[in-house]
Amino acid sequence: MLENFLGGLAVVMQPLNLLLLTSAVFIGFIGGALPGISGVILVVILLPITYGMDSTTAFMVLTAIYGATVFSGLITAILYRAPGTPEAVMTAFDGYPMTQQGQAGKALGIGVLSSAIGGLVGTIALIIFTPMLATMALRFSSPEYFALAVLGLTVVASLGGRLIYGLIGATLGLFIATIGIDPLTGTSRYTFDNLNLMEGVGLIPMIVGLFAVSEVMKRALDQDTHQPLKKVKVKIFDLPILRKIGPTLTRSSLIGVIIGILPGIGASTAAMVSYSETVRWSKHPEKFGKGAPEGIAAPESANNAAAMGALVPLFALGIPGSGTTAVILGAFIMHGLQPGPMFMMTHSSLIYAVFAGLFIVNFMILLFSKPFITLFTKLLNVPYSALGPIIIMCCIVGTYSVRNSMFDVWLMLGFGVLGYLLEKLKFPLVSIILGLVLGPIAESELRRALSMSQGDLSIFFTRPISASLLAVAALLLAVTIVMPLIKRARLNSATS
Amino acid sequence: MLTKLLLTPHALKMTTLGVALISTAMVAQADEAADYPTKPIQFLVAAGAGGGVDNFARVVRPMFEEALGGARITVINLPSASGALAHQRTANGAPDGHTLDFASTTYVTSLAAGQNPVGLDQITPVARMQSDVMALFVNPQRYPDFESFLEYAQANPGKVTVGGTHTASPDHVSFLSLRDASGLDMSFIPYDSTGNATANVLGNNIDASTTSLSPLLSYIEAGQMMPILVFSDERLADFPDVPTTVEYGWDLTDGNDRAVFVHADTPAPLVQRLEEVLKGIFDSEDYQAYAERVNLTYRDGWMAGDAYRERLEHNYELYSRLLSNEQ
Repeated sequence: MLENFLGGLAVVMQPLNLLLLTSAVFIGFIGGALPGISGVILVVILLPITYGMDSTTAFMVLTAIYGATVFSGLITAILYRAPGTPEAVMTAFDGYPMTQQGQAGKALGIGVLSSAIGGLVGTIALIIFTPMLATMALRFSSPEYFALAVLGLTVVASLGGRLIYGLIGATLGLFIATIGIDPLTGTSRYTFDNLNLMEGVGLIPMIVGLFAVSEVMKRALDQDTHQPLKKVKVKIFDLPILRKIGPTLTRSSLIGVIIGILPGIGASTAAMVSYSETVRWSKHPEKFGKGAPEGIAAPESANNAAAMGALVPLFALGIPGSGTTAVILGAFIMHGLQPGPMFMMTHSSLIYAVFAGLFIVNFMILLFSKPFITLFTKLLNVPYSALGPIIIMCCIVGTYSVRNSMFDVWLMLGFGVLGYLLEKLKFPLVSIILGLVLGPIAESELRRALSMSQGDLSIFFTRPISASLLAVAALLLAVTIVMPLIKRARLNSATS
Repeated sequence: MLTKLLLTPHALKMTTLGVALISTAMVAQADEAADYPTKPIQFLVAAGAGGGVDNFARVVRPMFEEALGGARITVINLPSASGALAHQRTANGAPDGHTLDFASTTYVTSLAAGQNPVGLDQITPVARMQSDVMALFVNPQRYPDFESFLEYAQANPGKVTVGGTHTASPDHVSFLSLRDASGLDMSFIPYDSTGNATANVLGNNIDASTTSLSPLLSYIEAGQMMPILVFSDERLADFPDVPTTVEYGWDLTDGNDRAVFVHADTPAPLVQRLEEVLKGIFDSEDYQAYAERVNLTYRDGWMAGDAYRERLEHNYELYSRLLSNEQ
């Protein structure tokens, strides 16, 4: 294996390939930083250009773009609360408050370091475990996915703020997720015979609206309480911080790799679950959402690890683990290659070159992100009266380009207003996103699992993985509900 | 009486005028076909970027440009509502052949399911260019051949689960038509993608899947998945041991098709011209090399517009019946 990897490294180190890889990283940086332009779109746009390249170079370039987009979504998420990619939504929850407190440089540094570490952990897992992990992922079926989604949803109880708001938010997210054609029966739900609603409410219009647009509105309409940012100094290696976020990084990278490997759920879900778990295990859950460094480290290490993990089932089984990997699969087919169970054996030199390329890309992220981020922080000196409209324009163009749909643009602007109002009510937007992303997984997998068992509920408890996940969820839920009660009882007895 | 009426001077005049009008219209139409294209052309793709239909449109695009001697073509993906928006935009546009709708079998299955309001009276096929063979796939460790699958399904009514992509997809209607023809009591589990359905067959979570052949070739080569029944009238040269639906007396030969549609009122000479252009592309070496590369050469993909229209009309009735039983 090491031999193969070194062979791959030699291919990557050819000057032309290195140059192409660097350009790919920069293209990915730009695409990832712009809201709405996702890895999927970039790969599709650049696919025809790769026809002229040999397939090894082509896939090194495409996967490098993919890796870089997942990283750079954090920049605009932290600086402007405009997540550049869906994977970076969770990063905005703590990253943006840090910017508001004048700690943008620190936040960005944590983001870059976490991304690179997550990406490296993911790449190493990809190199060492691809064949083994892929077969294990096959043991995950509907009952297990359902249990995983339930585990993610129970975190609503541990999030700070008023529990009832969290529950309302999650329910709202779950409700929005039901709009569109029911994938299992084909029945239209809440579509009012509008074709645009049949595909459901897209994640991009919703995220861009709720976060980016609502923030621009807030700063335009309300008293601007921002600390003026004089100079943003990005510090990537900061030992005290690293010590603080170390455990979070380890846990989140692992969660990210595992979730990424599971076919069908991608890096956005990984970021969400690892954020949830970090909040759950933290001694100070109340600090999250207000600028906790762990709140950046968790989603950023997890989404980059998951992005690499999602390539495991693609290379080992030909099954894409996420949206972008599905497009990469299409690209393989257009190059006359057919990823599948034999792919690792028949095209090992190509695969190891791609692995080596991804390995290098993570270092390039560490190296090049600083000058790139500086470009973006320069924009902070532009008065907000000019910058705000530019952000709105980027949001409109980006949202439109996803499905070429003007309807999505109106939807996005509508969510902008909704987000603005909800924040006025001190409503936790995170719970809405949790419901929206995990809801469809929970719903359809529950129903699929029941079709598998002909309606027998025991399928959730007789399969070991699903049973353990559900047990953990129940236990954690019980603890989060019971613990405050005990505390209150103690407090009462102490005062009386 | 009729002759009398026609012979009145006024009627005569009107008839002449009518004939003149019709012939000018025909001349204009022929001109329209000869002058085509008069403005930039749009390829609407009724599917997301990066998928099979999208790749098909993007491969055809440069060949189409060349065949017309330098047309300007933009490709626009309209994946919403199973591509219904692409059909709607084609139907609402001008019937001048400058908007081409690239769609798969999903067009007719979503129409039959009532998820797509654009009927065959609003858009018309120019030609079908690809037809991927549908098949029933299993994990060979579980069922060595179709006979054993059949035996198990007959002995265990209601137990067999078959996966495929979402409801009212080509996978789903293939399953429904197989169940309808064979009378077997099986249930369908819809997944988000072919990959997820495949993963569940590989992991022994479900019994089988109905989907098209070409995306699964590598699994077949690796011996992890096997087609045990192909939806075809004759056996495929590459799989001589796999029986066909027709052998069992089930007339199910539909594949997952990819075709090009235009506005239904597009003048016939223009549709003719477009069909010729597409036929020229289909026969070209470049196109055939692409078809070979993506494994779409198991059967002739080409079907002229009129023949394909008949087939779609027939399938629309069949699928409507199957899907309405389902709900």
